[in-house]
Amino acid sequence: MTIDPKSLRDSLETILAMDDAFPARFYSLLFERHPEVKKLFHRSSPTAQQKMFAQKICAIVDHVDDPAWLGRELHSLRENHDKYGVTPEMYPWVGEVLIETLREALGDAFSPELEANWREAYGAITNAVLG
Amino acid sequence: MSSTTSTATDRVLPWEKPRTTAAGRHPHLVLAWSLDETERLGEAIAIDKTTCIGRGGPLADDPAPRATPLRMRPGTTSPCPPIACSRISRLQVIAEPKGPELIEVRSIGRAVMRINGRPTAVGEARVGDVIEFHNAAVYLVTNRPPILPPITGELVNAFPFGAPDPFGLVGESEAAWQLRAALAFAASTDRHVLLLGESGSGKELAARSIHGLSSRRSKMLVSRNAATMPHSLLDAELFGNVKNYPNPGMPERAGLIGEADGSTLFLDEIGDLPESHQVHLLRVLDAEGEYQRLGEAKPRRSSFRLVAATNRPLDALKHDFLARFTHRVFIPGLAERREDIPLLLGSILSRVAHKNPTIAAKFFERRANQIAEPRLAPDLVARLLRHSFTHHVRELDRLAWLAIGTAPSDYIGLTPAVEAELRDSEESVANVTKVPSEIDREAVERALAENDRSPSRAAKALGLKNRYVLLRLLKKFGLSAAGNEGDGSDGGDGGDSST
Repeated sequence: MTIDPKSLRDSLETILAMDDAFPARFYSLLFERHPEVKKLFHRSSPTAQQKMFAQKICAIVDHVDDPAWLGRELHSLRENHDKYGVTPEMYPWVGEVLIETLREALGDAFSPELEANWREAYGAITNAVLG
Repeated sequence: MSSTTSTATDRVLPWEKPRTTAAGRHPHLVLAWSLDETERLGEAIAIDKTTCIGRGGPLADDPAPRATPLRMRPGTTSPCPPIACSRISRLQVIAEPKGPELIEVRSIGRAVMRINGRPTAVGEARVGDVIEFHNAAVYLVTNRPPILPPITGELVNAFPFGAPDPFGLVGESEAAWQLRAALAFAASTDRHVLLLGESGSGKELAARSIHGLSSRRSKMLVSRNAATMPHSLLDAELFGNVKNYPNPGMPERAGLIGEADGSTLFLDEIGDLPESHQVHLLRVLDAEGEYQRLGEAKPRRSSFRLVAATNRPLDALKHDFLARFTHRVFIPGLAERREDIPLLLGSILSRVAHKNPTIAAKFFERRANQIAEPRLAPDLVARLLRHSFTHHVRELDRLAWLAIGTAPSDYIGLTPAVEAELRDSEESVANVTKVPSEIDREAVERALAENDRSPSRAAKALGLKNRYVLLRLLKKFGLSAAGNEGDGSDGGDGGDSST
C-alpha cells in the first residue's frame, strides 16, 4: 500500500483547526495506557509539550513525501528521543494511541481506508526513525 | 547605461537621488501573536503582490507566489523558514495589495479569519487593522519600505531579533530603528540632547541608550527628575555647595553637575524647571562646563553632557535654554510603533516571570526546565493592538499587571477589568478629539490663569479626566502651560523600564 499524503494532511488539519483537545487527549491516553512513559515528560510544561507534539506531527505529515527532509529531521528526532530515554518498544505504543486519538477526534470520518493510511505512514516513519 | 558611456550631465549625483523612503512602501503583515511560534513575533510578510500565505513551503497548486516571512532590520532583510503553526492551513489566505495602505484578504484555510474582531471570509484591511486566524495567529497590517534604511554602528547585529537591545529598548519597527539611529548619532557627537516624547514613551531608557553608546559610558549615568527637586534647593542640587552654605548645617555636596563630571547628566521633566533656573544653567551648558558651587568664589569645570527630557510643548522652555540642546530626539509613542506592542508585552511579562516564581509557575510554559513563553490569549494582544495609548509603555506595563492580577485561570487574557480600563482610557482620549463646545481655547486659557497655570488644577476646573487630557488640548489649541511650576500630582515620567 502506498501512503496518500493528502488524506493524512486533510485529516490532521481538520483535527488541529478544531481545538486544543487533540494533543491533550493524545497524552492523556498515552499516560493512561502506559504510565511508565510519564516520567520522560518532565522537562516541559504539559501545554508546551502538547504544542511541540502538534507542531512536530504536522511538520512530519507535511513532509511525508519529502525523503530528504524526513532523513534529516527523523535522525535528529531519534537523537533527542535517545537522550530523553525513549526506547524502541515505545514507538508502537505511541502509534496505537495516535490511531485511537484520531479515531476519537474524527468519529465516522476515520474510515478504514484512512486508518490504514495512517498506520502505513506511522510504520514507515517509525522504521525511518529506528533505522 | 554603462559607466564607459556616462557623461557628467547624465550621472546622478548623491543629492539628486530620492531622499525619502516613501517610494516603494507597501503593506506588510507583522506577526503579533502565534500559538506555536512565539519566537517569531515581529516577522513581516510583504504584500507587494498577490501572495499565498499558509503553513509550509509552496504547493504545486498555489494560485500565486507564496509569502516568505522576513526579519527586517536596517539595511538587511533576512528570509525566514515557512510558517509552521499547526493550526494554520497549508493554504490559509490569499492577500492582494490594493494600495500602499490597503490589502484584500481571502481566507481559504480552516482557521476562521477575523478582521478587527469581525469574522469574514473576504475583506479589506487597512494599515493598523488586526487580522486574526482563530487560535492560530494574529497579524497587524503595517506599511513599510522593502528594506529599512541602513544605520551606522554595530547595533543591528548586537542582539537577537525581537529581544531587548543592550540598553533595554524593545522593538523591530521602523520607528524603533529610527529612534535607535537618532540616539546613536546623538551619542556619537557629545553634544547636549533634548528628548521629547509623551509620558511613558521611554525617555529615561533613551537617555540610558545615549549614555551607553557614548564615550562616557565607563562612568555611571547621573539621573534626576527635575520635578522632584525642591525649588529652594535647586541651585544647590545642580551646582553643589560648600559646607554650611546657604543654610547652617548643610553638608558639602558636589551637586549633580559635579557628580556628572566625565559622564552624562540626565534631567527628566526639564520642562518643570522654573525659568529662573533654566537661566542659571545657560553658562555651564555654554562655557565648557564652567560653574560655581554655592558659597564658593572659585569657578569649577565639569565635563558633562546633559540629556534632558520633557513631555511638555517646546515653548515651556526658555528659547535660549532650548538653543543649548544641539540635538532634539523625538521618542515615538506606541501609536507610531504598534507592531512593537507584542514584543514590548512579551518583554514586560518575561521580566515579571523572572522576578516572580509564583507568576512564572502559573502563567508561563516551561521548556527544557526553563521559563519559556507566557500563556497569552490572542484576544488581549488583538485588543491592545487597537488601543489608543495615553501613557504608552508605562500604560502597557500597568495593563499587563492588571491582566495578570485579574486572570481567572492559568493564562493571561482580556479580562473584564482590562477591558474596562481600556474603555475608560479611550473615553479620556475621545474627550479630547471631541472637545465639548464649552471647552474652547478661551476656556482653557482662563482655567490656567485662574489656577496658577497648574495643568492638574486647571484640568479639574474644566471637568477633564486628568492633566494629560488638558495637555492634549493645549497642543490642539497651540497653547502652553509655560510659567506653571507643575505639581506633578498626576504622575510623572520617571522610571521607564522598557521602551
